[in-house]
Amino acid sequence: MPEHREAAAGYHRYHIPTQPAPDIEKWPSRFKVKVRRSGLAKLLIKEVFHYRGRKDVILSRPCMYGVFSGPVGGFMPREEHCVGCLRCTTEFPEFVRIEHNPERRSLGDSYFTFNYVDQIAYEASSGLVPVRGAGYRGKFGGEGWDGMWTDMSEIVRPTRDGIHGRETISTVVDIGFTPNYLEFDPSGQPTGSTPHYLSIQLPIVLDAPQTELAAGVARIYARTAAELDTLVVLPFEYTTGLGEFGDAIVPVVRPEHARRLGQLGFTPRIIEMQGWDEALYAAITTAFPLAIVALRTGFEETDALVSYAQRGIKVFHLLADYHGRSADGGFVLDLIRGAHTAFVDAGIREEVTLLGSGGMIAAEHMPKAMICGLDAVAVDTPLLVALQARFGGECSARGASSFRLPTDLNEAWGVQRLKNLCASWRDQLLEILGAMGLREVRRLRGEMGRAMFMKTLEADAFAGLLGYTEASNG
Amino acid sequence: MANIAGKTDEQLIVEKHIANFHKGFAYWPRAEEAPPALGDSRWTQDLILATWLMAETGQVPDNGLEYKIGASGGGFDVLDFNIPSQDQWLPADTEIDLSLPLNRRDDGAQLKINIPMYGGGMSYGSISEHVMQARARAAQHLGTFTSTGEGGYPPSLVPYKDHIITQVATGMFGVREETIQYAPIVEFKYAQGAKPGLGGHLLGDKATDVVAAMRESVPWVSLFSPFPFHSVYSVEDHRKHVDWIRTTNPRALVSVKVSTPTDVDMVAVGSYFAGAHIVHLDGSYGGTGAAPEIAKKNIAMPIEFAIPKVHKYLVSENVREEVTLMASGGVRTAYDVAKAIALGADGCVMGTAELIAIGCTRCSNCERGRGCPFGLTTTDPLLQQLMPADWGQQRIVNMYNAYAIQLRDLLRKLGLKSIRELRGRRDLLRYVG
Repeated sequence: MPEHREAAAGYHRYHIPTQPAPDIEKWPSRFKVKVRRSGLAKLLIKEVFHYRGRKDVILSRPCMYGVFSGPVGGFMPREEHCVGCLRCTTEFPEFVRIEHNPERRSLGDSYFTFNYVDQIAYEASSGLVPVRGAGYRGKFGGEGWDGMWTDMSEIVRPTRDGIHGRETISTVVDIGFTPNYLEFDPSGQPTGSTPHYLSIQLPIVLDAPQTELAAGVARIYARTAAELDTLVVLPFEYTTGLGEFGDAIVPVVRPEHARRLGQLGFTPRIIEMQGWDEALYAAITTAFPLAIVALRTGFEETDALVSYAQRGIKVFHLLADYHGRSADGGFVLDLIRGAHTAFVDAGIREEVTLLGSGGMIAAEHMPKAMICGLDAVAVDTPLLVALQARFGGECSARGASSFRLPTDLNEAWGVQRLKNLCASWRDQLLEILGAMGLREVRRLRGEMGRAMFMKTLEADAFAGLLGYTEASNG
Repeated sequence: MANIAGKTDEQLIVEKHIANFHKGFAYWPRAEEAPPALGDSRWTQDLILATWLMAETGQVPDNGLEYKIGASGGGFDVLDFNIPSQDQWLPADTEIDLSLPLNRRDDGAQLKINIPMYGGGMSYGSISEHVMQARARAAQHLGTFTSTGEGGYPPSLVPYKDHIITQVATGMFGVREETIQYAPIVEFKYAQGAKPGLGGHLLGDKATDVVAAMRESVPWVSLFSPFPFHSVYSVEDHRKHVDWIRTTNPRALVSVKVSTPTDVDMVAVGSYFAGAHIVHLDGSYGGTGAAPEIAKKNIAMPIEFAIPKVHKYLVSENVREEVTLMASGGVRTAYDVAKAIALGADGCVMGTAELIAIGCTRCSNCERGRGCPFGLTTTDPLLQQLMPADWGQQRIVNMYNAYAIQLRDLLRKLGLKSIRELRGRRDLLRYVG
């Protein structure tokens, strides 16, 4: 077979295989179904006479979802089936009451609210894009991610068609260094800097907690990353025994690891330094000369990022806390824009890769973060939620948050949950890209002109109205 | 005791549940406490219950229900009217005109609607035929229009064709020569607010035999309409679309339904120059029978921001008086309609409000399995009987009657004799956010 045919035959379109992975730990139902038994009994007696014993009519229930289809019907409702349609309480207001379940609403914390938990649980269990009827139900806009909308193209768009199986939209991103331009000597050989990067198939990197919690998830994360052809960021200590997934693992090292780098059971393609340390950087480049060295640091360091780039760092993994805040209180959306702009202003944005973590907890946050300037999102808490971790109170600080993983967490289930989540997020990213008319996700990065911000839109629309001032929208 | 002799079990089951529904729709708006799980930020408990009450009585609620705004914290919910002192109000017996001409160009029929609202597209398959009939009959009664949506034109709607807009969407379902010729208005759906940049979605469970037959598709297979029109990549291509409709039905007005991207103003002007009589903006918080959640919230701008942007641009291009600008996508109340017009629209296109009038609780399960448990967004043979068309028609008419009362009252207090005088009167609005 000719070489080009062979290459063509070897082509496969990137696809994440999904399959149902139901919850292993029972979560509280969404709704509480309260039926006053005396009222139900009276109704049944009345209907027995009214319909003269015609059983099918008497037992015709107001629920299509099986809440009253147990052996004793409404006397013991099956709350886990309730979808909150309210048909029963509409038909029988005198003795049926549907309430939101406060236990369900207590899942997550003040930032990772139960709505996000619900969404992640659905995505991780099904691998599907959440599709529902009726329009948007939430607040108008708001702060942070909620105050940002992405653009769409109406008609003038010959590049559309990426979703629903017709044409490919690429979600490949490159992690590493690419020079602004190439230089060649007279013989045509490249001189100076040459590209040094690797490509991953989707702009999602798995970011494990840098705490002991990583011990319980490291293998699940590593296998998932390897199967997805992406990367997982793991604490150095928890990479032991994961050599088979070495190409996918990004070990996080601190100065105390400098002398133990040789203990890694594999040669990493990327290695992440926890904070800038000159000696550690030298040790890494000596031990792994071909590895890409990334700097893991807080968004507070934005002012210093360009100088780190000049010292050799070309990949930056920028961290906000789990609620998307930096130490000085900035929100991750603005922090990303700040970091991106710093490199644009320095004229080297194309040379570096920006990863970000913290506060990006829903599928829509990924394209928004990329529009603001990230190359890829290093997802953190959503992975734990996909594994049905329960929050122990407020979980914002990276080192001091408490999550409880299910006791019967197992690798096969965990991997499938994470793959499902990533598949769902990728498909939702395709929806956004398709709507914008973009055929590859790399074009999304920093495309601020394809975003709309509530502050700007509201000022444009409402400026001049009595009572409206710039301060009105913050 | 009711007469049950001679009735089948199915008839009795349908009658039983209908009676229960009607009892509940009347009970809850008057109850001391609302159903705890009802409502959300956009459609609050009060808005839903007030709409049920208006649909029952045809009057403005007077029992304390908040019927003007929701609790979304933005958009229409942070706008109010500057009502002048009472001595500047028009006399109570002043005739207030709510009619709206839809054709401001020299060509085509000079259509006028009696209220500044008409019904938005809801496709056969996404809603039941009974709901389509109810909406069509209500439109006829009110002297306005309703739209087929993209799922085809059921023969039972033909008697009301003078009040039905035929929608031509990217799936082209049910688009035939006769359905174009029936139509006083043909609407191109380029995009939909709830899922901008995506095509229509009808999930497999709802693509029943009859729905598939109407759409000339395969039963039980999900239908994702393409996006965009593959024959339209420019304003010039769009012009060819308009010519195609004009060739088939020279008297039809052409409406162009678009979503709200950053360049929505350019899109609107382009649509006008391609020959549209009506530019219909569908904002990002609009209704749908099924849409990805990510699209509902995150793509394209809300209608409150798009209207003034487009209005101003049409004015600056000196074409504002030649095109009718209709707005939809999160327009929930008579006051939302008035605010949209004050921001620059000529009128509004209503969808979800009509469904709520006939019993929707906005539970968001429209797409699931057999569809709506109230018989609205379903084509299940049993379920769709739960919403009889004649009852639905009256509920929708009543709701619009209550809206008309509110609009006339508001205009009188603002010193305006016609809804047309309200257009673009931003000076009558105030920001209360």
